[in-house]
Amino acid sequence: MTGAVPTVALVGNPNAGKSSLFNALTGARQKIGNYPGVTVERKAGHAVFADGRPLALIDLPGSYSLTPASPDEAVTRDVVLGRQAGEARPDALIVVVDAANLDNHLCFALELIALGLPTVVALNMLDLAERDGLVLDPERLAAELGVPVVPTVAVRKRGMAELLAAVEEAMRSQPAGAAAAPAADDIALHRCARTIARAATLSETPVRRWTARVDAVALHPVFGFVILLALMFVMFQAVYAWAGPPADMLEAGVGAMQAWVVANIPETFLRDLVVEGLLAGVGAVVVFLPQILILFLFILLLEASGYMTRAAFLMDGLMAKVGLSGRGFIPLLSSFACAVPGIMATRAIPDAKDRLTTILIAPLMTCSARLPVYALIIAAFIPDRGVGGTGIGLQGLVLFALYLAGIVGALAVAFVLRRTLAKGSAAGFMMEMPRYQMPRWRDVAIGLWQRAWIFLRRAGTIIAITTVILWLLLSFPKAPAGESQVDYSVAGRIAGGLEVVVTPIGFNHDIALALIPAMAAREVAVSAMATANAIDAGDDEEAMAETLGERLQGKWSLATALAFLAWFVFAPQCISTIAITRRETNGWKWPLFMVGYLFLLAYAAAGITYWTAVAFGLG
Amino acid sequence: MIGSLDSAPLGAAVRIARIDWPAMSPDEGRRLREFGLMEGALVTPLHRGSLFSRDPLALAVGRMRVIIRAAQAAVIAVEAVDAAGGAEPKPA
Repeated sequence: MTGAVPTVALVGNPNAGKSSLFNALTGARQKIGNYPGVTVERKAGHAVFADGRPLALIDLPGSYSLTPASPDEAVTRDVVLGRQAGEARPDALIVVVDAANLDNHLCFALELIALGLPTVVALNMLDLAERDGLVLDPERLAAELGVPVVPTVAVRKRGMAELLAAVEEAMRSQPAGAAAAPAADDIALHRCARTIARAATLSETPVRRWTARVDAVALHPVFGFVILLALMFVMFQAVYAWAGPPADMLEAGVGAMQAWVVANIPETFLRDLVVEGLLAGVGAVVVFLPQILILFLFILLLEASGYMTRAAFLMDGLMAKVGLSGRGFIPLLSSFACAVPGIMATRAIPDAKDRLTTILIAPLMTCSARLPVYALIIAAFIPDRGVGGTGIGLQGLVLFALYLAGIVGALAVAFVLRRTLAKGSAAGFMMEMPRYQMPRWRDVAIGLWQRAWIFLRRAGTIIAITTVILWLLLSFPKAPAGESQVDYSVAGRIAGGLEVVVTPIGFNHDIALALIPAMAAREVAVSAMATANAIDAGDDEEAMAETLGERLQGKWSLATALAFLAWFVFAPQCISTIAITRRETNGWKWPLFMVGYLFLLAYAAAGITYWTAVAFGLG
Repeated sequence: MIGSLDSAPLGAAVRIARIDWPAMSPDEGRRLREFGLMEGALVTPLHRGSLFSRDPLALAVGRMRVIIRAAQAAVIAVEAVDAAGGAEPKPA
């Protein structure tokens, strides 16, 4: 190692506790990006050796072997072999193995050790292995493997200093050699792994009973399903119930900032841009940060606890009926937060047609960007009361129904696609079920922070830019006295043209205006309406004081509001989703198909909702 | 006694006698082996399906729990574990 900061890669099986170890080594100092050319997430961070020298750490996707079964695993192989474009070969490897699962995890470890890079094995989750009645001999394991073995408990940060010291020592004493020939075939490798695991095991009592007891209920054919549905329901109720106070505070904060700017900056073009464009637009979206964080909190907890795989197990039967697999449940559930990571997560699906179908329906899962739109309209038009004295809120129930509509729509679309455009053999489904684990607040907090940051960065970039452009389009040309500025502006005229198309489904001028910028990001629909209404209100202080919801209440019929919600269930997705679909499917064919079918569905759903509502006298 | 894993009763350990590898794709086969499913291994079927179907099947293989589809289990022939057992400890 000469001068340059050495790079150490963390590599191991899925469920080896690699991410916790990565978090424990790097803290929150992480950088999430992509490997160039592929959309596999690249997690990098920094740590320091005992003497203060820095090292770069990268967390490679979990893999079972150097023979990849998915694009994720291909990246792992290519990085450790030094074949990944734009990524230097790591200077050393930390191979993470689950102490309680040596039989299996040592297979991959043996393959990695044979590569000849300086290597240290982290014998991770040793506490859980001990809880399971397993007594291991790390020294014996090190002797068998021929590389240092460091016992670690990542979640308690135990063994971190020793691990780094071992890495430093390994880099000094084990020069990177030529790759040794890996074992002839995987069966031989497995035997070898099993022999070593036996040798390193001092005593063993039968498998974890606790997980078995929970699974007896959680995977019960009927109760398991009831529990899953209940969890989902609680999740969506919580999104509403808990987000209120912090959202109100954020809203008050934005209002205070607007008031401060109005009071302290002379009235100029720039002040209007800031108050009506930036603050009204970005503020309207940032207010939804609490709800998005609550949703992500649930998803992170479900993943960290090990429940997510059980959910996949329970859903597999249902998903198999429409030609998908339980594997698809995790990307689809992630799509509730955002379709972009959801579509990226489909790389874990080995079957190409299964994967394509999952990608195409991912945008039908109600992503968090739609939440601001739903939240605004529901708060304005659905009364805040219980349903039949049950303590279940009507607003939460409507939100749940909207989510459900997206899911049912997605299953129907998948059913059709798997019999037409994405026809193929029945998808397989093979997955490891991790044991249950108490989620660590630290890992969850880091995950939440990363999501919050991504959301705020979007608000500060894409959303800020589109709202400013929209504000400019709305503000020029200046309307002559007596005419509405919004109607007279460039944006107003474009919306006027679009209105012809959307009037039949009950959409008004406000909505037509919001639809175009919503393509950039769905939540811009809210900021667009906020900006237009702020301009509309002009210097009318009473109108300014009204919230956006109150203003819409006065202008929209209930039928229009419901049609607008129905539109957004199927809403043509944002630019980022189209871009990620193009990248993941290697071409324009599928993203264009996706946009087309979603537009049609959205138009039909909004139309049917509107006409039905009008027929019931809600127009 | 030989039957397929697909129809083995839940909760009792069985030994894998034979796997019809050509009946599945090479990738599927490799993933099964990565899960420790190979001839001679002891497996315990734990949970089968949900409200909607008999698929999938959750198994205990050593200290690992894995999920496979009934279609794969159908080509895995298993035999009862004799009282003498093997060298391997019995999963609970």
